[in-house]
Formats: sequence, structure tokens, C-alpha cells
Amino acid sequence: MNVANNGKQSKLKRTLNKLLHARELTSIIFLVLMFAVVGIINSNFLSVSNLTLSLNSSVVYTIVAIGIALVIITGEIDVSVGATLGMAASISATMVRDGSPTWLAFSAAILVGALIGLINGIGVSILKVPSIIMTLGVNSIVRGLIYVYTDGKWVENLPFDFKTISQSKLPGTGITLIYFSVIVIAIIVHLFLNRTQRGKYFAAVGDNEGGATLLGIPVNATRLSAYVICGVFSAIGGVLYASRVGFVTPISGNGYEMKVIAACVLGGVSMAGGVGTVIGASIGSLIMASISRVLVFIGLSSDYDNTITGCLLIIIVVFDAVMQRRNAVTARHERLRARTGNVNLGGIK
Amino acid sequence: MVISNPAHSEKPTVSARSIHKSFGSNEVLKGIDIDLYPGEVLALVGGNGAGKSTLMKILMGIYQADSGRLFVDGVETKINKPSIALANGIYLVPQEPMLFPNMSVEENIIIGFNENKAELRNRLKDTIQTLGWELDLKRKALTLSIAEQQLVEILRGLMRKSKLLIFDEPTSSLTFNEVEALFTMINLLRQQGLSIIYITHRLNEVFQIADRVVIMSDGLITLNAPVEEVNHEILVRGLLPTNIEYQENKICSIDINRECKPIFEVNQLTGYGFSNISFKVYLGEILGIAGIVGAGRTELVTSIFGKDDIINGKVILDGEDITGLSTHEVMSKGLSYVPEDRFLNGMFRISSVAENTTASSVDSLGHIALNKKREKEITNYFIDTFRTRVTGCEQEMGSLSGGNQQKVVIGRSITTKPKLLILDEPTRGIDAAARADVYAIINKLRQDGMAILIISSDMEEIVELSDRVLTMYSGQIVAEFNREDVNHDSLMAAAFGIVGGKV
Repeated sequence: MNVANNGKQSKLKRTLNKLLHARELTSIIFLVLMFAVVGIINSNFLSVSNLTLSLNSSVVYTIVAIGIALVIITGEIDVSVGATLGMAASISATMVRDGSPTWLAFSAAILVGALIGLINGIGVSILKVPSIIMTLGVNSIVRGLIYVYTDGKWVENLPFDFKTISQSKLPGTGITLIYFSVIVIAIIVHLFLNRTQRGKYFAAVGDNEGGATLLGIPVNATRLSAYVICGVFSAIGGVLYASRVGFVTPISGNGYEMKVIAACVLGGVSMAGGVGTVIGASIGSLIMASISRVLVFIGLSSDYDNTITGCLLIIIVVFDAVMQRRNAVTARHERLRARTGNVNLGGIK
Repeated sequence: MVISNPAHSEKPTVSARSIHKSFGSNEVLKGIDIDLYPGEVLALVGGNGAGKSTLMKILMGIYQADSGRLFVDGVETKINKPSIALANGIYLVPQEPMLFPNMSVEENIIIGFNENKAELRNRLKDTIQTLGWELDLKRKALTLSIAEQQLVEILRGLMRKSKLLIFDEPTSSLTFNEVEALFTMINLLRQQGLSIIYITHRLNEVFQIADRVVIMSDGLITLNAPVEEVNHEILVRGLLPTNIEYQENKICSIDINRECKPIFEVNQLTGYGFSNISFKVYLGEILGIAGIVGAGRTELVTSIFGKDDIINGKVILDGEDITGLSTHEVMSKGLSYVPEDRFLNGMFRISSVAENTTASSVDSLGHIALNKKREKEITNYFIDTFRTRVTGCEQEMGSLSGGNQQKVVIGRSITTKPKLLILDEPTRGIDAAARADVYAIINKLRQDGMAILIISSDMEEIVELSDRVLTMYSGQIVAEFNREDVNHDSLMAAAFGIVGGKV
């Protein structure tokens, strides 16, 4: 076994090595390249104001992507995040419009998000409904309920105070307090996933469900909590959305599921589960938020936005799937080979 | 056979009483009583389908017994999920490593523990040092070789501070030194008073490591004795199914001309799961390949059939080299294969019997529109000659009994008029009457001059059908028997790697 020498590497070298092999690195390179290329075509793109704007505009994607990343890491999917976001946006917006304090509106939205997540989680992890079907169904139900709740009308005339929540900046920078907070959340979730026993269960469940069961890891509870957290984060996204945009329509949040799934995949979260970080998902969100701005800067219609998102998603997922199949075949071959002729067949010819 | 229970002064760590378990109509465990004592290594031996794995999964809480009781330290305990088994100090080191490929070795080992991390890490380092294994804890599990993965699995078990450790064929891919180290460790654990179950197909390991040996056969314990009281011969006899009638070879003998060129020849073939395989099949001959599951038989034939890569060697069918051709090409050259699992890859459940029968020969039914009349003719011919019980050729395949499904699948495989037919476990899971029909069909085909290769774990089937038998073990051919000297004992021994009394 050629493993002994590795242990003698210095800690620094190991950290460096780890950084170089992180899946997030590819995403960062992609991001930097994108900015560089667009910057060459149109130098305005690299202005400080545009860069901070890019960061700030990715805030809703980022918070929802963190939530859905948890679900994807456990090996499942949630396509109801867009509807959850829309519902939370509608509820918080109507409440503040009708005079409720912001904290109450925020709490109500989060409660609804958690409830939707709980329903998804029960369906997937306890009733064993395939996650795409379960969350697609819930997506449709919630979308319908948004129309019932808002009577199909726009929610406008939100109080100034509510709208400024998403506008106030970190002193001395152009970055919003909200974006800063979301990054702090991302780091906390990241530490939870990587540094705590319970956090590691998420990746374990997605990595090898059978193995996790055998080790007594609570597979169902872990999946269930991933859905609840995802619901809550989507709801937070909904409140931020309402505050940023200033009004909410019944179709608010439509298509967000696609964007945040793409953001996760771009950020190195594997659709097969078990691999990926919320930091990666945040970087992916930044890329997703920037694409529509990129189109404007290079003089293309932003109508291409969805098409490009879809293409990127499929290219990366296909690449991932091909790699994974290759690894599976290699592993199978190795296993078979290990079984062969390993025994001394003393004297038999 | 002497069934003696060793006199133990201590209380058993874990006991099982009259454990029964069925899957559907198939009774896998028919009342198992077993006691596992502290400080004792119990070797568990048995053929495929003997029920070893099922019993272990029941102890581990992965399956629940239909009836029967489990006791831990004398207290009746309901173990209905793995976490309860773990809490009671039972740990199963599975045969196929179940690691988290994207985690590091260390994470893989210490996940699920509630102890202090630093302490765990120290304990892990100590354990590894005691074993003398070299394992980089920082590597990702997906970069490990199978042997290394198995070491990690074993380490997990050792770290658990279990009362009962179950090893399911732990040495199947370890090197000699690693096996030695594992045995040293097991001895240490025995001294510490652990109870150990050691499942193996290598009978010599029984004598190296075990205190007591239990043989399971057909869902029952057929032998339970201190290791001093047994020898290789007794073990092999214990492995045979209970109440077997020594059946005659029912296939009428025909003259096989082994002077002329073989119709099929495999020359020093090496692939994934088998190595250096050579044999010949002659016209009108039935060649049986015996062996236990995992011996590489299925891998051998699926590779010949173009479903997996061949590393080295030649496959020659009727003088033509067919090595490494695609499945479609291999079939068109005249080779048919009836797979082991007809539900998985042998049949189209919701299609009709007629469509299933002609699925391999669709090309011959017309290029643009299918000739429905011809399809019906072919189907009816096979229904008649094989005595398939169907309501008509439009009946849905999934609604047929297993035996009749198998007849349709065999019928389909010969619509292409193959020169060689390979049957993988042809009568698994079908009833006795249908089995006789299938044997009659095989017999008829060989009389028509077809060469047939049969793979089976069922030794009786091999004895009944074959003109010649090869036995595979660990991916290699370890023995060849002619029709005259085939018998259950020698076959079973060879399937466990024992030839001429040697291991």
C-alpha cells in the first residue's frame, strides 16, 4: 500500500492540496473567467459599483441555494422552493402592507416555509414518495394557494421601512447588510455540516444510504430536517425578495427552483448526493445572478438567460454522471479482480 | 452426525431461539437456535442460500424475524433496526464495504460516535498501531482499493467496543499479511472477552481462527461442534443439502465426438472476476459450470456474451474468433444466453408471450411491418413443444408462473438458432414440475445437436444434467469431472476450493 508517505506531509502543504482539489475551485475559476472575459468586452462590467451590485443581487438565490443544497447533499431534490419563496413573499408582503410589524410578518413566513418543508420531508423520507414527484406536487399546491391567498392580485404599496431592510449597506462598503448576513449564515451552515457529528450525517445519508443505516445514523430524520431547513431558507428568501423588489405577484419566485439547482450544481454540489458545500452553492448563486447582467453587458437580450442556465445545468450534470458511471465501473472491476485467484490453489493444475 | 454443545460456564452474550424467516413463499430460516459466548470465535459456514446472511441481518436489525426470540446478555431484546443492535453492542462488518466514498478514512471510521473526537482519534491510532496496518487517515474513501476499504470496515467494527462482532467473509480480498494481522487482532479481542462470528468460504480459516464451527444448510443448522471435533471432510459433508436423494443423471447419454473440432472454445480467458479460464464444448454436449455465488461464473459468461470487457485470452465459436465483440454481434454469430435473473434482464413483463418469444429474432419477421402471422407460428411452436401453460400467445408475460416464464425465455433464446446456448441458473425459483419440463427441453435441445453450457449453484442440477463439469472457485477453474465421476461430495468440496483433500 502506497499510503504511508502521505502522513508525513506538512499541514500547510496538505491544506494547500485540499484547496487545489476542492470542487469549489472550479466554480471560482469559472466565475473569475466569466468576469474577465466580459470585462474585456465591456470594461464597465468590472467597475466597483457593478461588482457590488452583482453580489447584492445574488442574495435571494444564495439563501435559497443554501437550503436546497442541504436537500441535494442528502441525495434528494426539492422543486417546490420557488413556490415556497412566492408564498412567503406574499404572506410577509400582505402582512406588512396591512400594518403588521416586520418581525411578525417574517415569523409567519418562516413558519409557513417550515410547514411546507415538513410536508415535503414527511412525503419523501417517511412515505417514501420519490422526491421529484412529492415536491412537484407540493409546488403545484402551494402555487395554487398563492392565488387563493392573494386573490390573484399583486401585493403593492409596501411600507418604506420594509423595503429599506434590503437596502441598508455595511458601513464603508457597497455591500448590503443582508448579503453580509446571508454569507454569515452560509459559513455557519458550512461549519455545521463539516464540523459537527449531526451535520456530517447529511453528507453520509446522501453518500451511502445503506451504509448510514447500518451505522445507526437516523436517515429519515436527517432527510426530514434537510427539507424543513430548505423550507425555512426559501421562506427567508421570499421575505428578502419582497423587500428587494417592493411588490409581489402571484408568479413571484417562478423558476427559482431551476436557478438555485443550477447554482448548486455550478458550485460543485453533486446531484447524486454526498458531495458539495454551501459555500460552493453560494458561489454558484453569484454566477447565476451574474449571468443575466453579463448578457446585458455584452449586448445580448436577457431572453437568453433561461436557455443558458438550462444548458449549463445539463452540461455539468451530464459530465458529473459520466464521471460517476466511469468510477462505478472501475470500482466494480476492481472488486471483481480482488476476488480472483487470491487463494493459493496448492498443487492443483 | 454428532451435534454437541460445548459446556460453557458463562452466560451467552447473544442467543437466538427458533428464528424463522420467509421471503414470500420461500422459507429461508427454518428455526435457528444459536448461542454466542464471550471469548469465543464461532465460524459460520454454509453454501449459497443457506441463510447465513439472513440470520446475520436479523441479528443486526436489518431484517425482522417472522418468529423467534433474541436475547442479549440473557434479556429478551427486540432488535428491529440497526441502531438498536449497535446500542446493544452488536456490529456487522459487511462483506461488501459500505463506506462513504466522499469522506476521509477517519471520518468514515468515527462517524456515528458520540465520544470526544480527540479521544476517538487516539484510540483509532492505537488500534491501527496494534494491527500494524498502514492506512492514511486523510485519504478519501473512494481512492481506496477494495482491500483497504475492507480494512476500514474492520476498523469501524474494532472501534465500536462491541460485545458481538460479526465478520462476513472479511478476508475475501485481503492479502496474506493483512489476514495475519486480522487474525492476531481477533485473537486479542477473544482474550478481551468479545464474542465473534466469522463467516467464511475458506475452510482452512475455520481451523486457523475458530473455537467452534456451525454449518448452516438450507435454513437449518446441520452441525455445531468444537473445532477440534471436525475435519475438512465433515465440514464438506455438512454443507450438502439435507435429505438429498442421490439422483441419477437423467440425461440420456449420447455419443459425443470429442475427436472433432469443438464448437466452442475458451482459451486462457481473463476478465473482471475470473482469470485464466480454458475449456471446450463439443456438439451435443452439456457442460456444467459449478461453483458458489461470487466464484466468477456469471462474470465469465456475461463477459463472453459481450457485456463486460475481456482483458486477455480468446473465445472461439465454430472456428470464428468472437473475443470482445458486442452482445449483438455475439448473438448474430450464434451464441445465446439466458440470464440468471429473468426479472432483471431476461424478459419483458408487460409484453405478450408472443412478443417475448420473438424479441430476439425480430429482424427475421420483416423489416418494416412485423409479420404477425409468422410471430404467432413461432410462438405456438414453442408453446407446443415446451408444453408451456398459457391461455394463448397474447397472454401477458408477467402473469405466467416462473417455470412457464423460463420456458418462454429459453424458447426465445433459441429462435436465433444458436450454436451454443448458455443457461445461467436455469431453474432457480421454479417448481418441481416445471423443473422437469425445463430439463426435458434441455435434453431435447442437446439431442438436436446444440451445445449447451449450464451454470448452477444447485449441485443436484449439475449432476443431473451435465456430461462434463467444471468447478470454479475464486475466479479460476479448480477441477474438472467427467460424467462418470461426478458426485455431490466432490463437487461441493471443489466449489469450496478443496480438491483431492487439499485446500
